[in-house]
Amino acid sequence: MAGKAHRLSAEERDQLLPNLRAVGWSELEGRDAIFKQFHFKDFNRAFGFMTRVALQAEKLDHHPEWFNVYNKVHITLSTHECAGLSERDINLASFIEQVAVSMT
Amino acid sequence: MVSKLSQLQTELLVALLESGLSKEALIQALGEPEPYLLAGDGSLDKGESCGGRGELAELPNGLGETRASEDETDDDGEDFTPPILKELENLSPEEAAHQKAVVESLLQEDPWRVAKMVKSYLQQHNIPQREVVDTTGLNQSHLSQHLNKGTPMKTQKRAALYTWYVRKQREVAQQFTHAGQGGLMEEPMGDELPTKKGRRNRFKWGPASQQILFQAYERQKNPSKEEREALVEECNRAECIQRGVSPSQAQGLGSNLVTEVRVYNWFANRRKEEAFRHKLAMDTYSGPPSGPGPGSALPAHSSPGLPPSALSPGKAHGVRYGQPATSEGAEVPSSSGGSLVTVSAPLHQVSPTGLEPSHSLLNTEAKLVSATGGPLPPVSTLTALHSLDQTSPGLNQQPQNLIMASLPGVMAIGPGEPASLGSTFTNTGTSTLVIGLASTQAQSVPVINSMGSSLTTLQPVQFSQPLHPSYQQPLMSPVQSHMAQNPFMATMAQLQSPHALYSHKPEVAQYTHTGLLPQTMLITDTGNLSALASLTPTKQVFASDTEASSESGLHTPASQAATIHIPSQDSAGIQQLQPSHRLSASPTVSSSSLVLYQSSESTNGHSHLLPSNHSVIETFISTQMASSSQ
Repeated sequence: MAGKAHRLSAEERDQLLPNLRAVGWSELEGRDAIFKQFHFKDFNRAFGFMTRVALQAEKLDHHPEWFNVYNKVHITLSTHECAGLSERDINLASFIEQVAVSMT
Repeated sequence: MVSKLSQLQTELLVALLESGLSKEALIQALGEPEPYLLAGDGSLDKGESCGGRGELAELPNGLGETRASEDETDDDGEDFTPPILKELENLSPEEAAHQKAVVESLLQEDPWRVAKMVKSYLQQHNIPQREVVDTTGLNQSHLSQHLNKGTPMKTQKRAALYTWYVRKQREVAQQFTHAGQGGLMEEPMGDELPTKKGRRNRFKWGPASQQILFQAYERQKNPSKEEREALVEECNRAECIQRGVSPSQAQGLGSNLVTEVRVYNWFANRRKEEAFRHKLAMDTYSGPPSGPGPGSALPAHSSPGLPPSALSPGKAHGVRYGQPATSEGAEVPSSSGGSLVTVSAPLHQVSPTGLEPSHSLLNTEAKLVSATGGPLPPVSTLTALHSLDQTSPGLNQQPQNLIMASLPGVMAIGPGEPASLGSTFTNTGTSTLVIGLASTQAQSVPVINSMGSSLTTLQPVQFSQPLHPSYQQPLMSPVQSHMAQNPFMATMAQLQSPHALYSHKPEVAQYTHTGLLPQTMLITDTGNLSALASLTPTKQVFASDTEASSESGLHTPASQAATIHIPSQDSAGIQQLQPSHRLSASPTVSSSSLVLYQSSESTNGHSHLLPSNHSVIETFISTQMASSSQ
């Protein structure tokens, strides 16, 4: 397991989060996590997206919290070990962005 | 083919494939029912596989064909079917297509240039050729010739090679990025082939590490554990830097990672080597006729395998080979000068004053052989020719090596300069030995030759075995010019004493292409002040004409004839400099001189420059004008 589970410091956040914020990720209140909603054309696409993310999550051993209804996917990313945001979240978020772009 | 899959199934399959699952892996997995709980068995299987394959063909980004072509190009050697349970390869279709595109572009390029690139990559990462051969199915000899000498290779095979190259780069990059994650998540195929044979590549010392080790060895031959560990760190750092990777990713070195044990072994081998050389030296010193003690039977030819390369400077004196009269140093000049002998017989040696060459040669052999009557020297003695650093750059390669062994291919050597004999026991390891060796075996046999000097004349000897001419060329620093001239020696140098060669490397090796233009400015035709102007202030050189200069607009045809208004214009904002300074008609735009300067076009700030150059310019210009008026 990669040792990237430490909570992001303020400087790191300043460095990494703006990119994500720019594409639509937001920080949740009351919880140190990032969140985004995705829309797809239909369920198939949405689930295809989720499949890809799932495969990668397994690979990274870091899983998202998500919700799906038909063509919508809500994803929340946070790291349990440090009870907050860590590098793994950022990595997964980047990957998710990549996939989403290639899908829609 | 009409897909029998629902859209979702399609999506999922595509997702699977994009996640790095290869077609074969998928099909293979389908053949293993157990872990997969395929409810539909037969029909479902067929449906899915057919659909899968059909689907593949349908994918817009050509995933299917990408896979197919990859299969072909990579041959059977490359492992394409990792078990599905294994980490899925990160070969998304985009990446596969990208790789394919890169391979295509490489194929279009000049094969020799690409070969040089690949070769230097192999050296940079210390990858054994065997690995390439194993995964591409190419013939090793052919590959080696192609990379080193430019022997032509068919397109299909080159494609395989380039594909390997592209993949390897990706794998290595992954390796390094994952290094920080505490171990490899996916095991890149080239470096370790666990699925293939469970064999890792043999560790190989890189030149950077060797240099560090040799330096440490000179300081202290027997380092303690702490020192060894420090060396480990240092070497790994150097290796990472050589590969252009951050030292914190040392784990990415994979099989070439330097460990404390390896360092320990290295020192042990060097000590043994030195002891052996010392022993040899002592033995031979006692004189040929006496044929010292150990007197084991001596074969007619001393086997080339006998090593010792002779010499660390300290031992220089010790090695009086066979002819006391002709020891190196001052004496050498006399004897060697006159007596370089072309020996077709095995040994190469300058006949000493009293001895007959063959006689001495034989004796020498005897010496050597008997010297080695004892335990065989460690193979690694070959690498002991490390005193490269101590050799003054100006020295010609002095074959101060002991030439041992019957060298069937011994070349005739003209008289050489004894000149640098003395000091060069430290030889750069190259040489002479090489001659004989070239023909026989790759193993570098140190040339035990008290005369040594003869070897200098190696120059004329042309061996068609340049080590890595391509490698050499870009990397040769001025210091190594002598070696460069003698590719063969250089080759041998590397064979014999990789260190010797590599010690120069650091200063030269820029594995990352540096394309910096030196800030040199060659004097050229006069002319373009603006160019001049844009020179860095410190350089008071005349810029060449327009071509070189950045100003494109300066080419006003002969507006100015022969006047230089430079100074006068100067004071003004000289932005208009350009046109007025065309020295003469375009013809002078001789592109003969090259102006390389880093400044950009803008002609600003030159005012300060001009005044001082004024007079100089004029004089120069006048001469130029005279000469350039064709």
